[in-house]
Amino acid sequence: MTTPQSQIAAQLHTTKALPVSPTWLNSFVSSTTTALQRTVPISALTQTALFRILASDIRDSLHPNNPSALLPADIVDPSVQERRLPGPVPVQVLDIEDIGTSLWSQVEAIERVERGEAVRGREIVRAVNVGGGEDEEEGGGNAGPAASENESHGPHRLIVQDAAGTRAVAVELKRVQGISVAKLAIGAKLVIRNATVARGMILLAPDCMTLLGGKIESLDHAWKEGRKARLLARITEMQGGDHSG
Amino acid sequence: MTRILCVAEKPAIAKAVAQHLSGGTFQTNSITGNRYVKNYSFDFNFGSTWGHCNVTMTSVLGHLTELEFAREYKSWLSCPPGALFEAPVHEAVSSDKTAIARNIQQQARQSQALFIWTDCDREGEHIGTEIRKQAKEGNARILVKRARFSNTERAHVLNAARSLIELDDLQANAVAARIELDLRIGAAFTRLLTLQLKPLSSALEDTIVSYGSCQFPTLGFVVDRYLRVKNFKPETFWGIKVMLQREGIKVNFLWKRVHLFDRAVVTIMLERCLLAKLARVTKVNQKPTSKWRPLPLTTVDLQMMGSRFLRMDSQTIMKVAEALYTKGFISYPRTETDQFDKAIDLKKLVEKQFPDQNWGQYARDLLDGGFRTPRAGRHNDQAHPPIHPVCWVSPSALSADEKKVYEFVVRRFLACCSEDAKGQSTEIEIEYGDEMFHAKGLLVLERNYLDVYVYDKWESSQQLPNFQRGEQFEPTEAKIFDGKTTAPNYLTEPELIALMDANGIGTDATMAEHIAKIKDRHYVAVNTRGGGRNAVKELIPTQLGIALVEGYDNVFAGMPNNPSLSKPFLRKEMETRMREICAGSRVRQEVVQESLDMYREYFVHTNRRISALKDAIRKYLPN
Repeated sequence: MTTPQSQIAAQLHTTKALPVSPTWLNSFVSSTTTALQRTVPISALTQTALFRILASDIRDSLHPNNPSALLPADIVDPSVQERRLPGPVPVQVLDIEDIGTSLWSQVEAIERVERGEAVRGREIVRAVNVGGGEDEEEGGGNAGPAASENESHGPHRLIVQDAAGTRAVAVELKRVQGISVAKLAIGAKLVIRNATVARGMILLAPDCMTLLGGKIESLDHAWKEGRKARLLARITEMQGGDHSG
Repeated sequence: MTRILCVAEKPAIAKAVAQHLSGGTFQTNSITGNRYVKNYSFDFNFGSTWGHCNVTMTSVLGHLTELEFAREYKSWLSCPPGALFEAPVHEAVSSDKTAIARNIQQQARQSQALFIWTDCDREGEHIGTEIRKQAKEGNARILVKRARFSNTERAHVLNAARSLIELDDLQANAVAARIELDLRIGAAFTRLLTLQLKPLSSALEDTIVSYGSCQFPTLGFVVDRYLRVKNFKPETFWGIKVMLQREGIKVNFLWKRVHLFDRAVVTIMLERCLLAKLARVTKVNQKPTSKWRPLPLTTVDLQMMGSRFLRMDSQTIMKVAEALYTKGFISYPRTETDQFDKAIDLKKLVEKQFPDQNWGQYARDLLDGGFRTPRAGRHNDQAHPPIHPVCWVSPSALSADEKKVYEFVVRRFLACCSEDAKGQSTEIEIEYGDEMFHAKGLLVLERNYLDVYVYDKWESSQQLPNFQRGEQFEPTEAKIFDGKTTAPNYLTEPELIALMDANGIGTDATMAEHIAKIKDRHYVAVNTRGGGRNAVKELIPTQLGIALVEGYDNVFAGMPNNPSLSKPFLRKEMETRMREICAGSRVRQEVVQESLDMYREYFVHTNRRISALKDAIRKYLPN
C-alpha cells in the first residue's frame, strides 16, 4: 500500500536527490490535505512539498539514512590534500562572498544603491525603483535589488551546511550560473555530487552541483541587513592587522 | 544698388569675412561709442537673388541684451529670494552695448536686407535674433537671412554668402529658455545661500556663495571623487604567477583571474596547479592586429586630449582654439561632429600642410598613396564639421600656446586621413591544474598614423618563443604574489570633462567655463601631482566646496530619487528639454514653467532645511 507520503518521498528522492524527513513529511501531508481532501493530485502535492523544502531549514526537512548524503564530519580538515565527495549531498547556503572584488568596492557599490545611484561606465545613472510600494510576500520570488549592474563577478566563496548541521566552505572554481551575491539567497539549496574537496574546501563547478534555489527568509533578511556592517567590520579588522604586522 | 547689412558675432570675424567678400579692398569706419566694433564697406555680388550689392559688414560683441529683474527686485534685500522665481523680468540692451545696438539700427535704416553672420551654434542663433530685433527697430521692413559657415577660409565664406538660409528660431528659443532659467534659479539660490551662510564664517566675509545649475553638479563630481580617495581602505590581494624559460626567453603567464582577495583559496589553487605538474597549451592565436587611427576631432575630445597632452586647462585651450578659428587657421572649434562630410575636399586640406617643416613630408606621403578616408564616428550636430586645419600657418606667426593647439589639430587631422597602425599579436593560453593563464606578444609592423600622431603610444613587446597547441610543458616557476589595492586618484580635468559629457552637464561650448567658475569661486583648487613630463593637474575641493556638497546632500537626504543639487540628474533633465525645444517638440514657455516649478520645490525644501547647510558650513569653516 503506497501512502501519499511514500510517493512524495520517492519522487523527491529520485528526481531531486532530497531525502525528506518522514516526520516533516507527515506534518506536511496532514496540514495540506485536511482541507483539500484527496482531490489534490500527487504531482501537485510533490511540487508544493519541494517548494516548502526549498524555503525550509534542511536540518528539519531532510533526514538522510545514507551517510553519503551528508558531508564527512571531518570535511574541513586542511591536512587532507584531496578527497572525493561522491554524494549526492543536499546542502543549504549560509553565506556567500565575492572574493574577486575588494571588500571596499563592495561597500562602495552598496552605498551607491543606498544613494539611489548605480554606475554604468562613467555615467552616474539614476537607479529606477521598480518595486514601488509593494510589500514583500512569501513566494514573491525575485524581490532582489533591481540593479543588475551590481552583479558580483566572483569567484564566490560559500559556507554550506548539510542536513546534519555540518558546515563546510565551498569555492566556485568554475563559473556557475545562478551563484552571485545578488541572485543567490541565504538558505538556497544545492545538491553536490562527485565534487573534489581540497584542503577542506569543496570545489564547485557546473558539472558537480545542481542549484535548486529557494531561501530561508529570516536568515536571508538578516544577512542582507547586516552585509554592509560585516564588510566594514572586516575592513577595520584588516587595517588593524596591517598596523601590528 | 541694393544695400545689405551684414553682422557677425565678433569684430575679427567681420573683418575676415569683409576681406574675403571684398577681395581685400574695403573702407573701414569707426562707430561712435565703441572702440572695437568697426563698419567695413565694399561691393559684393551675392549671386542670383541679390546680385551686385553695396555691403556694410559690422559685428556685435557676443550677446547684445541681458535678461534682468524689474528694478524693485534688483537689490538683494528687496524681496525674499524665493520671489525671484516669479518676479517680472525683461530683456534690455546691456549698458555697454548700446552704441553697438544704435549702430545696427542706423545701418538697417539704409539697408534692404540683413545677413546674419553669427557663429553657427545655439548661442549664435540667439545672438542672431537679438541683432534682428535691433535691425527691425531701425527698419521694420528689412529682410533677414543668415549665412551658414564653419570656418573663415575664403572659398567657404564666398559659398556661404551665396547660399543664405533662415535664422533658426527654435534654437534661439532654447537659449532664451536657458537664460531665463539660469537667471531665476541662479539668483534665487545664490541670494538664499549668501544671505544665510555668510554670517556663519569669517572666511565668507567677502564672498558670494553662488549657485549655478551646472556649477554645482560639476563641483559634485570633484567632491565625490575626493571623498572616494579620502575614505579608501587598501586591501591585500593574492595571485598566481607562472613563468617558463624557453629559447632563452622568460615567458611570464598572467592569471586569468588576475587576483583574488582570499589567500587560502589562492593557495589551494596554486597547490592544484603544482599537483598537475604539466601545463597544456590550449590556444595559440597569432593574428594581424591594428591600432585604429583616431576619430575626427570634436570639442570635448580637443579639451580632454588637449589638457592631457598639451598641459593646458580646457578653458585656455578653448580660448586659443577660438583665436585660431578667428584668424582663419582652423575650423569652428565648437562641434560635436566626429564624421567628415563627403563634400569636404580632404586631400586639398592635406596638401595645404606641405610647407610645414615637421609634418609637411608626412602630408606629401599621404597624397602619394597613403591617404585613407577618415573613420566616421556616430555624432553629427548638423552644423559644423569636425575640427580641422583650414590652412597652413608658419609657426613664427603663432604664440607658444597657439602653436601647441594648432599642431595638435593638424596632427590629429593628418592621423585621421592615415592608415591604421598594423601589427601582429600572439596570444598563448595555457591550462595548468584547474587554472587558466595567458601570455601576449605584440610586434608592430607598420606605424602609419603613429608617425604623425605622436600622442598615441603602441610599442612592440617582448617576442614570444614558439608554442604548439596541445603541447605540454612543466613551468619553470609557479608562485603566489601579493599586492595591495590603491586609492583612485583625484579627479583630473579631462576626467571631469568626460563625466560632464556623459551626464549632460553643460554643452561642449560651456563645460570649460563651468570648470573655470568653480575654481574662481574657490570651491576647488588645482594641485600638481608628480613632476616633469608626467606632472598631472588634479582638482581638489576646498573646505567650502566640501561643505556645500555635504550640506546639500544632507538637505535632500531621504527624498525619493535623490534630487540633491550636487548630483547631475536635474540639470540633465533640463538639457534634454532644451534639446526638445530645438527639435520643435516642446515650446519654450512650457519648458520654462515646468523647470521652474521643479526647482521652486527644491528651493522651498532647501529653505526649510537650511540648518543642514549651516551645520556643514560650521563643520568645515572657521567661524
